[in-house]
Amino acid sequence: MNVLSYSINTLKGLYEISGVEVGQHFYWKIGGFQVHAQVLITSWVVIVILLGSAIVTVRNPQTIPTDGQNFFEYILEFIRDVSKTQIGEEYGPWVPFIGTLFLFIFVSNWSGALLPWKIIELPHGELAAPTNDINTTVALALLTSIAYFYAGLSKKGLGYFGKYIQPTPILLPINILEDFTKPLSLSFRLFGNILADELVVVVLVSLVPSVVPIPVMFLGLFTSGIQALIFATLAAAYIGESMEGHH
Amino acid sequence: MANMIMGTSKPLITLSSSSLPTNSKPKLQIPRLSFPKLLKITKPQLLSLSTSTLKSLSLIASTSLTFAPPSLAEEIEKAALFDFNLTLPIIMVEFLVLMVALDKIWFSPLGNFMDERDAAIKEKLSSVKDTSEEVKQLEEQAAAVMRAARAEISAALNKMKKETQGEVEQKLAEGRKKIEVELQEALAKLDIQKEETIKALDSQIAALSDEIVKKVLPVQ
Repeated sequence: MNVLSYSINTLKGLYEISGVEVGQHFYWKIGGFQVHAQVLITSWVVIVILLGSAIVTVRNPQTIPTDGQNFFEYILEFIRDVSKTQIGEEYGPWVPFIGTLFLFIFVSNWSGALLPWKIIELPHGELAAPTNDINTTVALALLTSIAYFYAGLSKKGLGYFGKYIQPTPILLPINILEDFTKPLSLSFRLFGNILADELVVVVLVSLVPSVVPIPVMFLGLFTSGIQALIFATLAAAYIGESMEGHH
Repeated sequence: MANMIMGTSKPLITLSSSSLPTNSKPKLQIPRLSFPKLLKITKPQLLSLSTSTLKSLSLIASTSLTFAPPSLAEEIEKAALFDFNLTLPIIMVEFLVLMVALDKIWFSPLGNFMDERDAAIKEKLSSVKDTSEEVKQLEEQAAAVMRAARAEISAALNKMKKETQGEVEQKLAEGRKKIEVELQEALAKLDIQKEETIKALDSQIAALSDEIVKKVLPVQ
């Protein structure tokens, strides 16, 4: 019996360590459909952060920029630079899309790492970065797909579909396959990275509560930023690719 | 999309401390699963077990269930990692709204502002280049004025030099004349003195020669 209780205790300990809630959702019902409430709540927080800071800072632009305005101008120039290098000279109309992609993903990722979501207890599941949920990343990836189809069709009309048999018609299946792999890789890359990052931090914190997780947390911040940049850059690259003329 | 990627209801990971079963249904499965010996305990023995051991029993049940066929685990907890539902379109709409809003309050106004400022700065810079030509003209004018002034000054200097030279020469000539006159006067005076001394010497010579003769020639 002693041996049994001992093994049970170790099992209990293991359970406490691995008390990471993966794939647990806090469901709301909207008109018979289920939604992941934790994702919606955190995405609203992210949107409020973005819009609020933008309204406060850009309300009254000065010729000689103040600190906040300077920062926002820097971000805007960064986004313009990314779109310009990927899309080319006609990048103007795509700046809002690329910029919002980058900012939304970036702020989402960092909110997962920096905001103490865990303080707020949900009946089920837990609050985390919105990009921690496959729904969010697939939504963004599908929007990217729609965006590059729209870009190609509006630029070249139906001639856009000519790219499927370029350079030879033999590549047609692969070219069609690409349209599926692009959103798939975009969404899974972001989802996997953010989920893995948060899991690693949680597990490490439960194992060694002090000092040791800190470098991993910084690594997580770094990865989050990189992932946002990668998503935005790839989206811009796809749009640019579908807009450029085939030779 | 959801069905294409993965079956939505398939459990991928079933890790949770909150998934301890409390309903009796899984317990009934225990004898078939992995702990048949435990259930051979007689009733009084079972009653004597403390509550903690009861808890641990249920924990064992849960652990055994983790390794149970998926149909069992599914009943305990739907751990849905790839759970697609209405969240996806809602996030899409939210994103589009955010895009429009950010464009209205950030990207467009600040972008236009920055472009206008760039244009203004470029204009100012080009206007500065224009004034540099003006500066060149002004510099040329200044140089011309300086040249004119230098010419005037040199002319005045020459004039002054000439005038002063004339005066100096005049004075020099006067001085020379004076000196010559004085010189001649002095020379004339010298001549007169010379003659006088020669005359005086002539008279003395006779006396001196007499004395010399007297001294040289002994008295006879």
